[in-house]
Amino acid sequence: MYKRRRTGSLLILLPGILLTIIFVIYPVIRTAILSFESWNGVANAPKHFVGISNYISVFTSPKFWLGMRNSLFFIIGGFVILMPASFLMALLVTSKVKGSGFFRTTFLIPVMLGTTAVGLMWTFMLNPQFGMVGKLAEIFRSETVPNILATPVQNTWAVVLVNEWMYAGYNMLIFAAGLVAIPEDIHDACRIDGCTGIKKLFYVTIPLCKNMFMVFSVTCITGCLKVFDIVWAMTRGGPMDSSTTPAILLYTEGFQFKLMGRSSAIAMILLILGLVISVVLNSTIFKPDENL
Amino acid sequence: MRYSSKKRAQGVILLLIGILLTVMFLFPLFITFLSSLKSNSDILLGMLELPKQWMFSNYPEAVKTANALNTILHSLIIAISTLVLTIAVGFPAAYILARKSYKFIKPVYILFMAGVMVPVHCTLTSVSEMASTLGLKNSYIFLVLLYVAFNLSQAIFLFTSYIRGLDKGLDEAAKIDGCSEMRLIWTIIFPLCKPIVATEAILVFIFGYSELIFSLILLTDQRKYTVSRAMLNFTSNYTTSYGPQFAFVIMSMIPMLVIYIVLHKQIQEGMLSGAIKG
Repeated sequence: MYKRRRTGSLLILLPGILLTIIFVIYPVIRTAILSFESWNGVANAPKHFVGISNYISVFTSPKFWLGMRNSLFFIIGGFVILMPASFLMALLVTSKVKGSGFFRTTFLIPVMLGTTAVGLMWTFMLNPQFGMVGKLAEIFRSETVPNILATPVQNTWAVVLVNEWMYAGYNMLIFAAGLVAIPEDIHDACRIDGCTGIKKLFYVTIPLCKNMFMVFSVTCITGCLKVFDIVWAMTRGGPMDSSTTPAILLYTEGFQFKLMGRSSAIAMILLILGLVISVVLNSTIFKPDENL
Repeated sequence: MRYSSKKRAQGVILLLIGILLTVMFLFPLFITFLSSLKSNSDILLGMLELPKQWMFSNYPEAVKTANALNTILHSLIIAISTLVLTIAVGFPAAYILARKSYKFIKPVYILFMAGVMVPVHCTLTSVSEMASTLGLKNSYIFLVLLYVAFNLSQAIFLFTSYIRGLDKGLDEAAKIDGCSEMRLIWTIIFPLCKPIVATEAILVFIFGYSELIFSLILLTDQRKYTVSRAMLNFTSNYTTSYGPQFAFVIMSMIPMLVIYIVLHKQIQEGMLSGAIKG
């Protein structure tokens, strides 16, 4: 009887186990192997073992470091702009202000639109011929209309800002959950002690939302390392790789230049970097609070 | 007295900020919609002006040249099959993981959680190798199974922790009445888990509808393009006429917007529990 029940349980788990092994575990192992090989991506073409030369060519290519720098721009933008903005938005939608429910609903719309659609929409807005940039240039009496998406550095920041426009509402929800979880007693105590405004924000509210800041940090950093869709929709990583990211390189090296080995090496570097960062963040800097 | 007027001023400022942000989030959408109804020369005149000539024909034009409706339909089919399969596979598995205590439970749970740590991009080369070796490029079934695999860890995580919070007495009673395991899962436990199932369904749906990178590497046949793929293709190849491009972008957003307007409460809750899982 026990045995039969156990087999029954295993059978129920089986489809999930198979899917995970076939599409997640096996591909990761296979990518690790491919990262030491040279292969052009054609099904029956030969693969050669090339040792660590894929890794060497990744680490010595300026493109890779450009991509890492751009990822860093995404992370900086995330902490300097997105984090304060979405925290303030969370304060707004959890306050008793009229229409806070409506605000919460509209702030979340961009996430629902799909990354590609958002990217294209902003590409139109930034188009030098007919976009809003022309209007702005007129206002500032500028002679030439800048082509932001074709100018290095500017284009990356433009994509960073669009990405933040899209995800501000989503991150707002994370912070809002933290704010709502603060017990009413604490608000009362603050009022009695005369702790209000900015002082309350920095000494009471923010420390109590520590866990939410941790969730934000981990998702922001790991998300920024693998950003692909929005960059692809807006610039394809160009011109001349100026707005590339590691994930864009992973795609272009593998599927446009047919360097599957090098692409796999970038994949492994991203995987390991992401794992190390989230383990380090989780275990050292942000010790999760037991009582929250 | 002073306190309350200060409070009121604060309220007004917050309200103003809220309105400003609302404008910021809705403005691009509005401009895109307006432009989707303009002729080329009107678009080049500037984005803010109302169209001189209302070009409703941009929409049929996008449907005709970019196959817009078909690609939206493809994405909807993919999204819905991914979500049904994710729940069909993930829910019973989560029940077993939550309620049983065999030796294999823990390792299996860890196996599923490994999926959370692996970014999809890290499997591109080998997944593409697999698809071309097996001749499964352009196969929706392969694509959907892949999406299910990548959504399973989140689904199982959410379902397992929800089921653990349910009363065990119910299971016992059902078992004494001779209810089989599968029937217990689908007729008794599943209805109790509606909120978390709805949550996961929405998250999977958003993922499936707008996924880009796997559809880039796995779909090479234009007739099989998903909406993201087709939009990118259309906007980079059809550069002479802008109106239909705007129209396509607007059309691609409609299914998601409709779903959001109907279900915005559940979606907000859903995204939250999905976000905090890390």
